[in-house]
Amino acid sequence: MKSRFVSTLKSCNKAKPAFLILMLWAAVVLVPNLAPARIFIDINAPAVQKLQIAVPAFSTRASGAAEPGFGGKLADIVANDLEISGYFVSIEEDAFLPGAVKDVARDAIRFKDWSLIGAELLLACTYNAIGQSLELEVRLYDVFRARRVYTKRLLGKRNDHRTLAHRLSNEIIYLLTGQKGMFLSRLAYVNRLQGKENVYKEIFTCDVDGHNAEQLTFDKGLSILPRWSPDGKKLLYVSYKDGGPMLYLKELGTGVDRRISARKGLNIGANWAPDGRQIALTLSHGDNPDIYTIDLKGNILDRLTRHWGIDVSPVYSPDGRKMAFVSNRSGSPQIYIRDLQNGEERRLTFEGKYNTSPTWSSLNRIAFSGMDGGRFDIYTINADGTGLQNLTQGGGNNEDPCWSPDGRYLAFSSNREGGYHLYLMTAGGRNQTRISFQEGEQTSPSWSHY
Amino acid sequence: MKKKALFVWMVLVIACSSLLLMTSCAKKQIGAGEAEGMQEQPAVTEEAEVPSDEGYAEREKQRQAELEALRQKQLEIDAFESVNIYFDFDKSELKPESQIALKNKAAWLENNPEYSVRIEGHCDERGTNEYNLALGERRANAAANFLMSLGISGDRIRTISYGEERPADPRHNETAWARNRRDEFKLFK
Repeated sequence: MKSRFVSTLKSCNKAKPAFLILMLWAAVVLVPNLAPARIFIDINAPAVQKLQIAVPAFSTRASGAAEPGFGGKLADIVANDLEISGYFVSIEEDAFLPGAVKDVARDAIRFKDWSLIGAELLLACTYNAIGQSLELEVRLYDVFRARRVYTKRLLGKRNDHRTLAHRLSNEIIYLLTGQKGMFLSRLAYVNRLQGKENVYKEIFTCDVDGHNAEQLTFDKGLSILPRWSPDGKKLLYVSYKDGGPMLYLKELGTGVDRRISARKGLNIGANWAPDGRQIALTLSHGDNPDIYTIDLKGNILDRLTRHWGIDVSPVYSPDGRKMAFVSNRSGSPQIYIRDLQNGEERRLTFEGKYNTSPTWSSLNRIAFSGMDGGRFDIYTINADGTGLQNLTQGGGNNEDPCWSPDGRYLAFSSNREGGYHLYLMTAGGRNQTRISFQEGEQTSPSWSHY
Repeated sequence: MKKKALFVWMVLVIACSSLLLMTSCAKKQIGAGEAEGMQEQPAVTEEAEVPSDEGYAEREKQRQAELEALRQKQLEIDAFESVNIYFDFDKSELKPESQIALKNKAAWLENNPEYSVRIEGHCDERGTNEYNLALGERRANAAANFLMSLGISGDRIRTISYGEERPADPRHNETAWARNRRDEFKLFK
């Protein structure tokens, strides 16, 4: 409802106030069929009916044309984003009828042609590329009602057109769900590459659609376990570049890379407290792996576990009051929850003999990777132990779950198609989509802030 | 300074030896291709000022014996390093055959006090990197503790865990996993 009004307001933001009020009055009183329910997506509904959307190639006038196929490229990026969101099915371009969009600028659309192929929404955009500047004019149509529901102008850079297209995707998501879109966030991950002499692992980042990959480490050794800070400006990772598994902090803006924990034995599996001021990690001092907290300079603040067993993979609850971690104190790796206030620890997972990699969402659900029948799947469970759900039944190993900051999506790695690659799915396990297609094997995703 | 003195000495030796070569080149054929022979050349030629067939044969024999000992040592090192010990899934307890292998290693270390050992703990690919890094450390420590219980000083033992990051067999099946759940042993001085 809100977004509908917002869009109406935006589309006539240059109109005089009196006219605007008249418009609103007209919208509310004279046009009762403007009820937005039909195209507003209730993301909290247990089963979301996907909307059929058509995104034809962005058109342009000859004067503003980029290279051939550029308009199609932009449309593909947006259509793919919308599919990844899990709320849309993008109709194949082959199904489009010729001439169904006659002139976007004049809203000359043959709505019947679009409804014929099943489209409920039509996203018809034009672009204008002049030098390095790139302008998009966005129009979203409700095909059933034969009406434009949203108009927007977006400005960006041509050599960064993917970012501009992702911004457009975010606009559509916000318009239809009232939620911030995820398409301007990034994933950090590990890429395993085959060198001439040995296999090595480097940290990379990419857009959530898997494109725009950027390499962050160049040690040709072992760089693993990247963890994005809550503000998205820093990255923790573990590297063997100084002879053993030690913890490093990279500042992404400046590229400054500092070693912050180089104690004997393990300095691994670090995770950020929600305020970004302290880090929980596993230190072994060469002897027994326990969970500690350290500050950003690496000074030990506290020791949280004192147990002969293996204690690893600490992760904070969104309010910072609890911590989930993995321990084999019962004989096999299981997930435990520790109350950081009173120090009480209780076991969370009881099904299966091998449950690891907990990750705690902002919506208070815990995802983890569990082995059953020799295969790993991604499960989710409530912090009180109820509502266990297997999200990835069938098809290879599924590991390294990682929540999106809004808690509505999971990134994970799977070898269901051979080597390990990155996938996304909704919090309920729907819409599992492979996003990484680069050389090597990709694992260990960490999601930046939105 | 030292270098300069050495250089003058070598020039002298080479001058002498080239003189000798002209007079008695028949005696100087053997071992010329040997890398180690080249290094020892000054010593050989120096003493060759009093040429004697028996003396030469004696030294050559000695040199060959030294080489043989080196080869033997390298074989021992290779043997030491080639024997891994293996673990069950999610376990770091030493199996009986691993204990035998470690006893052999301890005995060798006892006889070769100039060597230290680096123990690398590894896991198969199943499970998380983090848990496996901890498990790999456990496996390395299990072997280290056993060696220490046999009297090898802790100062001569280093441990490192590679978790699942350095598989010996890159395949994804039971055979590969069994080969990857291991401790490797690297000697250093």
